[in-house]
Amino acid sequence: MALLDVRDLGVRYGNIEAVRGLSFSVDEGTIVALIGANGAGKSSTLRALSGLVPPSSGTIRFAGADITRVRADRIVRAGLVHVPEGRAILRPLSVEENLELGAWTRRDHTLIHGARERVYELFPRLAERRRLPAGSLSGGEQQMLAIGRALMASPRLILLDEPSMGLAPVLVADVFRMIQSIHESGTAILLVEQNARQAMRVSSRTIVLSHGRVFREGPSGSLLSNPLIVEAFLGKA
Amino acid sequence: MRRSDLPRILPWAVVLMIVGGDAALCARSPGDLDRFLINAILALSAFATLHARMLSLASAGFMAIGAYTSAILAVKVGLPVALSVPCALLLCGIVALVIGLPVLRLTDVYLAICTLGFGEVVRILIVLLPGLTGGPTGANLSTGFPYDAMRKTSPAMIALFLGFLIYLFWSLSRSKTGRAFRAIRERPEAASTMGIDVVAHRSMAFLLSAIIAGAAGAFYAHSVGSLDNGDFRFTRAVDVLSYAVVGGAGQWFGPLLGAGLLTALPILLRDSLGASIGFLRDFAQLPNILTGLALLLVVVFLPGGLVQSFPRRTMPHAGRGARPGAQSGDVPPVERAGPVAPSAWGETPLLAVRDLSRVFGGVEALRDVSLRLEEGRIYGLIGPNGAGKTTFINLVSGLDSPSSGRIIWQGREIQGRPPHRIARAGLARTYQSMRLFAEMSVLENVIVGHHARIRTNVLTTWLRLPRERAEEAAAREEASRLLAHLGLSELADQAAGTLAYGDQRRVEIARALALRPRLLLLDEPAAGMNEVETERLGRFLIDLKGKGYTLIVVEHHMDLIMGVCDQIVVLNFGRTIAEGTPAEVAGNERVREAYLGRD
Repeated sequence: MALLDVRDLGVRYGNIEAVRGLSFSVDEGTIVALIGANGAGKSSTLRALSGLVPPSSGTIRFAGADITRVRADRIVRAGLVHVPEGRAILRPLSVEENLELGAWTRRDHTLIHGARERVYELFPRLAERRRLPAGSLSGGEQQMLAIGRALMASPRLILLDEPSMGLAPVLVADVFRMIQSIHESGTAILLVEQNARQAMRVSSRTIVLSHGRVFREGPSGSLLSNPLIVEAFLGKA
Repeated sequence: MRRSDLPRILPWAVVLMIVGGDAALCARSPGDLDRFLINAILALSAFATLHARMLSLASAGFMAIGAYTSAILAVKVGLPVALSVPCALLLCGIVALVIGLPVLRLTDVYLAICTLGFGEVVRILIVLLPGLTGGPTGANLSTGFPYDAMRKTSPAMIALFLGFLIYLFWSLSRSKTGRAFRAIRERPEAASTMGIDVVAHRSMAFLLSAIIAGAAGAFYAHSVGSLDNGDFRFTRAVDVLSYAVVGGAGQWFGPLLGAGLLTALPILLRDSLGASIGFLRDFAQLPNILTGLALLLVVVFLPGGLVQSFPRRTMPHAGRGARPGAQSGDVPPVERAGPVAPSAWGETPLLAVRDLSRVFGGVEALRDVSLRLEEGRIYGLIGPNGAGKTTFINLVSGLDSPSSGRIIWQGREIQGRPPHRIARAGLARTYQSMRLFAEMSVLENVIVGHHARIRTNVLTTWLRLPRERAEEAAAREEASRLLAHLGLSELADQAAGTLAYGDQRRVEIARALALRPRLLLLDEPAAGMNEVETERLGRFLIDLKGKGYTLIVVEHHMDLIMGVCDQIVVLNFGRTIAEGTPAEVAGNERVREAYLGRD
């Protein structure tokens, strides 16, 4: 059975239907890319999954349990963590304090300590800067911190919303390397990216959204060579 | 009644209940009518400042100045009310201007504390001048202010003034000044870079609020017939503020509803409790406690106040005639006031930046950056995160002042000028972390960009001159054309805050173009756009260049930068490390190392 199973999801903001009748699933330990034009409903989908906006219709099942209208903090406890667009790190707090907040839902201090050491292993730059205020980090380091903070909850699924946005080209490659190493540790990833070509290269499956619905879905490799997708979403290489 | 009708009917039921209840109370005891009217006037004085995003508690102080000035002039000098009240308002206005100069630099809590202090100073002055004001106790008042000499206003007179205020705020809400206030309330810095003089608007709002509170005070004096400095305590200012909070400061009629509700509630509760449960009569504070509870409930469940339950009107002019049918949009070519004057050393550049530096607490965000911009070209500004790109844009657009160096726009130094003047001189910008007016519609956002060019003002709106309507219509027409050209027509009526990231970026560009700038500063315009959308943006930027616009583009999408720019400047740690054509920069070893990466 799939780790995440979404059926007929709908999200509305007043009269605007951002997501309509969306169905897809994410298997344990896989990377799934969610791509599409602006306003296609990618961020809204992630926000509904993590409980930040209530879905107007449909069901969301995570690890066998129905989480459709469950509070956001309980969803984090269940093992689903959202890294939002724009990173949302707490700038005046230190790097380490930011990470500790990521483990807010956990009680066992040895486990928290272990998770922190793993994050520092994954991102040695953060270990070097653990006492500095998060706001003093560069853009790429802030993105590392946002992802590291999500890892502190030891999630089974991470939702990444545009991790490469606003980063220098030299850092974009770093971000995709980070995604690869998280994947290797066994965590499933639902990845929203405007950098669609690269997102499809690291993912096993790709879902293409258009106007709040699934436009195409399939193995990333075959969609990468689909002329329709290339024309509409990838542009000339 | 269908269930879907309920949200539409409910707000009107609330209005009817409040107005009806107040009217019934006043019919029963006509003496209360003055109180209702005066509180409504006070509520509008709170609205005037809140509307400009100022938390002012000066209302009690200005009310006291108005009350005592008019009373003293009427009783001791013997002026008729028709003269004493205007004199009192004049004094309030002068005092507002004098204390406004230093105080309006403050915001939020600091402004609240300062205005609170002002109110207390006024009260202490009243106490210290017993000869003039009757001093600390009400005892002197009966001799100082004979009751009959004071009672000089009628409810009709107060109602007339209130009616005038309502008309004033109603027309303000539909004028470009009202739009400017909404912009200031949401995003003061974005409003300033749209050519709106934020300080002038705030001063105007503070002055208006002071005069209105002064009028309420003068009417209060002549209605009650005696004065006591205790009437103008801090609690009065809090009451006035709570009218606006409960009613909702989003629209002008919100504070009126709040005043109606909060004036009636204690009276109603006192009457009904006193009649029904005898023993509660001894518990004098109960009505106040229940009123406080009602206030709490409104704030918890309707944080935007009672007006929040009304359907939001994004378009002050919507539904008047057909929508401007601009289907095929276009961007007007750059307007040149005249060619850039050639200087003795050859052509003056459109923009020249000389040795620009900015230090933040010991950290050099920008160090000795120099640049010359020729008109009609696209310049790329790239560099690692934290290299100083946004700092550069903030300095040029006037949101920040350089530590040293010069910014020369068409031969004139502009560093340190306020942002609205720089915007009006022809430099427009967008923001990396978008700063749209989220509550306004997309179309209104773009119309704000026309602010500097719409020549009507509050006065023409009050007088409803035809020119005003023509200018508004022209602005809407042009804004619609811009939106169409950027492919945003379908989103024109949506609240800007509900749009996806990439769409918001395009609205920011449309809003900046509405200023009809000569130079456009774009801070990461393609962030949040996919490859196809980025390509389309690139074509749009080249099209703008063809129309004579000059652009500075900060971006991390190298396809876009390399594809559209004529010249690229690379910053690292606040210094220029390379400058040249895209090919030169791409081949530069230092740039590859610091920024592009090797692959």
